[in-house]
Amino acid sequence: MDTNPIKIVVYYCRNLKLFKDGQQKAFARSRPGLSLVAIPCSGKMEAHHLLKTLAGGAQGVLVLACAEKACQYLEGSRRSHKRTDYARLWLEKLHIEPDRVKLVHLSPTDVEAMEKLLKEFTSTLESFGRIPPIAHTQAG
Amino acid sequence: MIVAELKRIDEIRKMIDRYSSILVVGCDSCVAECAAGGNRETMLLAAALRLSYRKDNKNPVITEACLDRQCVDDFIEGIAHQVPEHEVILSLGCGAGVQALARVYTDKPIIPALDTLFIGETQMRGVWQENCLGCGQCKLGHFGAVCPVTRCSKKLMNGPCGGSKEGRCEVHPEIPCGWDMIVTRLETLGELDRLSEYVPPVDWSTSHSGGPRRVVREDQKP
Repeated sequence: MDTNPIKIVVYYCRNLKLFKDGQQKAFARSRPGLSLVAIPCSGKMEAHHLLKTLAGGAQGVLVLACAEKACQYLEGSRRSHKRTDYARLWLEKLHIEPDRVKLVHLSPTDVEAMEKLLKEFTSTLESFGRIPPIAHTQAG
Repeated sequence: MIVAELKRIDEIRKMIDRYSSILVVGCDSCVAECAAGGNRETMLLAAALRLSYRKDNKNPVITEACLDRQCVDDFIEGIAHQVPEHEVILSLGCGAGVQALARVYTDKPIIPALDTLFIGETQMRGVWQENCLGCGQCKLGHFGAVCPVTRCSKKLMNGPCGGSKEGRCEVHPEIPCGWDMIVTRLETLGELDRLSEYVPPVDWSTSHSGGPRRVVREDQKP
């Protein structure tokens, strides 16, 4: 068992309906290092949320969004692109791999696609190496 | 509003690297409107600095706060309980805010995270345009509310230079001709006759030299 799993935070749009009741916890528990956060819309995520997540100890952040034309809030999925791109621009300025933050459009209930994506993303992050750990006093 | 831009991260790092505890303070007024130093930008910069220091295996304490306004004492006092716990304040206020913080917190170094640029307006989301130089001799009523000091590249006060083409300034085609705008607007208002009155050049002796300007209102003092 990996005693130091790579930490990944996934913000997923609730409207993707990826998990039925209780399934989210079980899914995360079986994948050490993974945190799943349901959000009302991918458009809710802003650059400072994404950078804060990395600064708080995550090695990578995934934002799972509905297709742009399928967004229930009309503009949310489209806006989330700009915001993720801005976060990636910041990572470039900081000489940190921009691919540590990724936005992916998924079809509703497509857990299989999410699993595949997680595998690839973990592999990418492992190839980057780890951002050094954060001191307890600096967190938050 | 005052328009400012965030400094480069390496410039900010150079100024604060000597400190081990940093209070990052934003301002939710003008610089929030121009997306440079508001609450969001403060959180973003604090997170970026934490990441930057982590990459370099350094661990300063970084705390963020945001004031409604950094240029008024009543608001500045809002961080009084946090200031003693930090070695330095990194301010995302405009130049006025940075200096106001220094006047209140006399024993703390205050470092600017922004470059203050100009007085301007939000033309559309994401675009901020300079439109006031603070000359202190406002004649906007005479010019149909289009300022020749800022909008005319040559600061002409009594008519166009004649070099504009299709409403564009001869200095640079991206600049709309200020006088084209003035005349068009006065025509729309039916007030072109205002331009028959001579306007002397701006007296700049009262600004940008000879010390900081001041306004005193006795009726406003406590």
